[in-house]
Amino acid sequence: MSVAGAVLVWLGVAVTVLSAVAAVVLESIIPRLHALTPVTVLAGPLVGVGLALRSGWSLTTATLLLVTLLLAVTGPALGAVTARLADRDAHDA
Amino acid sequence: MNTLLLAAVVVVPGGLVPAMVLLGRGDAVERLVGLELMGAVVVLALMIVAIGFGQPQYLIAPVVLVVLSWAGTLVFTRLLGGRP
Repeated sequence: MSVAGAVLVWLGVAVTVLSAVAAVVLESIIPRLHALTPVTVLAGPLVGVGLALRSGWSLTTATLLLVTLLLAVTGPALGAVTARLADRDAHDA
Repeated sequence: MNTLLLAAVVVVPGGLVPAMVLLGRGDAVERLVGLELMGAVVVLALMIVAIGFGQPQYLIAPVVLVVLSWAGTLVFTRLLGGRP
Protein backbone atom coordinates (compact mmCIF):
# COMPACT_ATOMS: atom_id res chain seq x y z
CA MET A 1 0.00 0.00 0.00
CA SER A 2 2.88 2.32 0.75
CA VAL A 3 4.48 1.66 -2.65
CA ALA A 4 1.18 2.27 -4.46
CA GLY A 5 0.74 5.50 -2.54
CA ALA A 6 4.21 6.68 -3.48
CA VAL A 7 3.58 5.86 -7.14
CA LEU A 8 0.34 7.85 -7.12
CA VAL A 9 2.01 10.82 -5.43
CA TRP A 10 4.83 10.81 -7.99
CA LEU A 11 2.30 10.57 -10.83
CA GLY A 12 0.55 13.62 -9.38
CA VAL A 13 3.86 15.47 -9.13
CA ALA A 14 4.62 14.63 -12.78
CA VAL A 15 1.20 15.85 -13.92
CA THR A 16 1.65 19.07 -11.93
CA VAL A 17 5.07 19.86 -13.37
CA LEU A 18 4.07 18.99 -16.94
CA SER A 19 0.92 21.10 -16.73
CA ALA A 20 2.81 24.06 -15.28
CA VAL A 21 5.43 23.91 -18.01
CA ALA A 22 2.72 23.56 -20.67
CA ALA A 23 0.96 26.64 -19.30
CA VAL A 24 4.16 28.64 -19.73
CA VAL A 25 4.82 27.34 -23.24
CA LEU A 26 1.30 27.98 -24.57
CA GLU A 27 0.72 31.54 -25.74
CA SER A 28 -3.00 32.27 -25.46
CA ILE A 29 -4.94 32.44 -22.20
CA ILE A 30 -7.61 29.82 -23.00
CA PRO A 31 -5.07 27.08 -23.84
CA ARG A 32 -3.23 28.04 -20.65
CA LEU A 33 -6.39 27.50 -18.63
CA HIS A 34 -6.85 24.14 -20.33
CA ALA A 35 -3.29 23.23 -19.39
CA LEU A 36 -3.90 24.14 -15.74
CA THR A 37 -7.05 22.06 -15.32
CA PRO A 38 -5.18 18.74 -14.81
CA VAL A 39 -3.41 20.21 -11.77
CA THR A 40 -6.66 20.43 -9.83
CA VAL A 41 -8.76 17.58 -11.28
CA LEU A 42 -6.04 14.98 -11.91
CA ALA A 43 -2.88 15.75 -9.93
CA GLY A 44 -4.87 16.72 -6.83
CA PRO A 45 -6.76 13.40 -6.61
CA LEU A 46 -3.60 11.44 -7.46
CA VAL A 47 -1.65 13.10 -4.65
CA GLY A 48 -4.57 12.99 -2.22
CA VAL A 49 -5.37 9.31 -2.78
CA GLY A 50 -1.67 8.43 -2.75
CA LEU A 51 -1.17 10.13 0.61
CA ALA A 52 -4.41 8.58 1.91
CA LEU A 53 -3.17 5.09 0.98
CA ARG A 54 -0.06 5.70 3.05
CA SER A 55 -2.02 7.03 6.01
CA GLY A 56 -4.67 4.32 6.32
CA TRP A 57 -8.20 4.97 7.60
CA SER A 58 -8.00 7.89 10.01
CA LEU A 59 -8.91 11.54 10.47
CA THR A 60 -5.80 12.35 8.44
CA THR A 61 -7.25 10.50 5.46
CA ALA A 62 -10.54 12.35 5.81
CA THR A 63 -8.68 15.68 5.84
CA LEU A 64 -6.65 14.71 2.78
CA LEU A 65 -9.75 13.70 0.87
CA LEU A 66 -11.49 16.92 1.94
CA VAL A 67 -8.64 19.01 0.53
CA THR A 68 -8.66 16.92 -2.64
CA LEU A 69 -12.40 17.35 -3.07
CA LEU A 70 -12.27 21.11 -2.47
CA LEU A 71 -9.40 21.48 -4.94
CA ALA A 72 -11.19 19.43 -7.61
CA VAL A 73 -14.42 21.41 -7.18
CA THR A 74 -12.99 24.94 -6.96
CA GLY A 75 -10.29 24.61 -9.64
CA PRO A 76 -12.56 24.20 -12.70
CA ALA A 77 -14.92 26.86 -11.32
CA LEU A 78 -12.04 29.34 -11.14
CA GLY A 79 -10.96 28.36 -14.66
CA ALA A 80 -14.45 28.99 -16.00
CA VAL A 81 -14.69 32.38 -14.31
CA THR A 82 -11.25 33.41 -15.59
CA ALA A 83 -12.10 32.25 -19.12
CA ARG A 84 -15.33 34.26 -19.03
CA LEU A 85 -13.35 37.31 -17.90
CA ALA A 86 -10.81 36.83 -20.70
CA ASP A 87 -13.61 36.45 -23.22
CA ARG A 88 -15.25 39.65 -22.03
CA ASP A 89 -11.91 41.49 -22.31
CA ALA A 90 -11.44 40.16 -25.85
CA HIS A 91 -14.88 41.42 -26.88
CA ASP A 92 -14.37 44.82 -25.24
CA ALA A 93 -10.98 45.33 -26.93
CA MET B 1 14.96 12.16 3.05
CA ASN B 2 11.92 9.99 2.36
CA THR B 3 10.20 9.72 -1.00
CA LEU B 4 7.46 12.20 -0.07
CA LEU B 5 9.91 14.94 0.82
CA LEU B 6 11.72 14.23 -2.43
CA ALA B 7 8.40 14.66 -4.26
CA ALA B 8 7.93 17.99 -2.48
CA VAL B 9 11.42 19.07 -3.53
CA VAL B 10 10.43 18.34 -7.15
CA VAL B 11 6.94 19.85 -7.13
CA VAL B 12 7.81 23.14 -5.43
CA PRO B 13 10.30 24.46 -8.01
CA GLY B 14 8.67 22.51 -10.86
CA GLY B 15 5.31 24.15 -10.20
CA LEU B 16 6.18 27.48 -8.65
CA VAL B 17 8.79 28.65 -11.14
CA PRO B 18 6.36 28.37 -14.10
CA ALA B 19 3.71 30.04 -11.93
CA MET B 20 6.04 32.96 -11.22
CA VAL B 21 6.83 33.24 -14.93
CA LEU B 22 3.09 33.44 -15.65
CA LEU B 23 2.68 36.01 -12.88
CA GLY B 24 5.33 38.22 -14.44
CA ARG B 25 4.15 38.59 -18.00
CA GLY B 26 1.02 39.50 -19.94
CA ASP B 27 -1.99 41.55 -18.89
CA ALA B 28 -3.85 41.29 -15.60
CA VAL B 29 -6.09 38.38 -16.61
CA GLU B 30 -3.11 36.39 -17.90
CA ARG B 31 -1.29 36.97 -14.61
CA LEU B 32 -4.37 35.73 -12.77
CA VAL B 33 -3.77 32.32 -14.38
CA GLY B 34 -0.36 32.27 -12.67
CA LEU B 35 -2.02 33.02 -9.34
CA GLU B 36 -4.42 30.10 -9.80
CA LEU B 37 -1.54 27.77 -10.64
CA MET B 38 0.44 28.95 -7.64
CA GLY B 39 -2.45 28.32 -5.27
CA ALA B 40 -3.00 24.77 -6.53
CA VAL B 41 0.71 23.91 -6.43
CA VAL B 42 1.16 25.24 -2.89
CA VAL B 43 -1.87 23.25 -1.68
CA LEU B 44 -0.40 20.05 -3.13
CA ALA B 45 3.06 20.83 -1.73
CA LEU B 46 1.67 21.50 1.76
CA MET B 47 -0.22 18.19 1.71
CA ILE B 48 2.91 16.29 0.70
CA VAL B 49 5.16 18.07 3.21
CA ALA B 50 2.73 17.59 6.12
CA ILE B 51 2.54 13.82 5.55
CA GLY B 52 6.24 13.60 4.59
CA PHE B 53 7.29 15.07 7.93
CA GLY B 54 4.79 12.90 9.80
CA GLN B 55 2.87 15.97 11.09
CA PRO B 56 -0.72 15.49 9.84
CA GLN B 57 -2.00 18.25 12.13
CA TYR B 58 -0.44 20.70 9.68
CA LEU B 59 -3.01 19.60 7.06
CA ILE B 60 -5.19 22.42 8.36
CA ALA B 61 -2.96 24.77 6.33
CA PRO B 62 -3.94 23.36 2.89
CA VAL B 63 -7.57 23.11 4.01
CA VAL B 64 -7.59 26.83 4.78
CA LEU B 65 -5.48 27.74 1.75
CA VAL B 66 -7.68 25.98 -0.80
CA VAL B 67 -10.72 27.91 0.42
CA LEU B 68 -8.92 31.26 0.68
CA SER B 69 -7.24 30.80 -2.70
CA TRP B 70 -10.61 30.15 -4.30
CA ALA B 71 -12.25 33.17 -2.66
CA GLY B 72 -9.26 35.42 -3.33
CA THR B 73 -9.16 34.57 -7.01
CA LEU B 74 -12.88 35.18 -7.30
CA VAL B 75 -12.35 38.63 -5.76
CA PHE B 76 -9.67 39.34 -8.36
CA THR B 77 -11.98 38.30 -11.19
CA ARG B 78 -14.68 40.56 -9.77
CA LEU B 79 -12.29 43.52 -9.54
CA LEU B 80 -10.87 42.93 -13.01
CA GLY B 81 -14.34 42.55 -14.51
CA GLY B 82 -14.89 46.30 -14.37
CA ARG B 83 -18.68 46.16 -14.21
CA PRO B 84 -21.14 44.21 -12.04
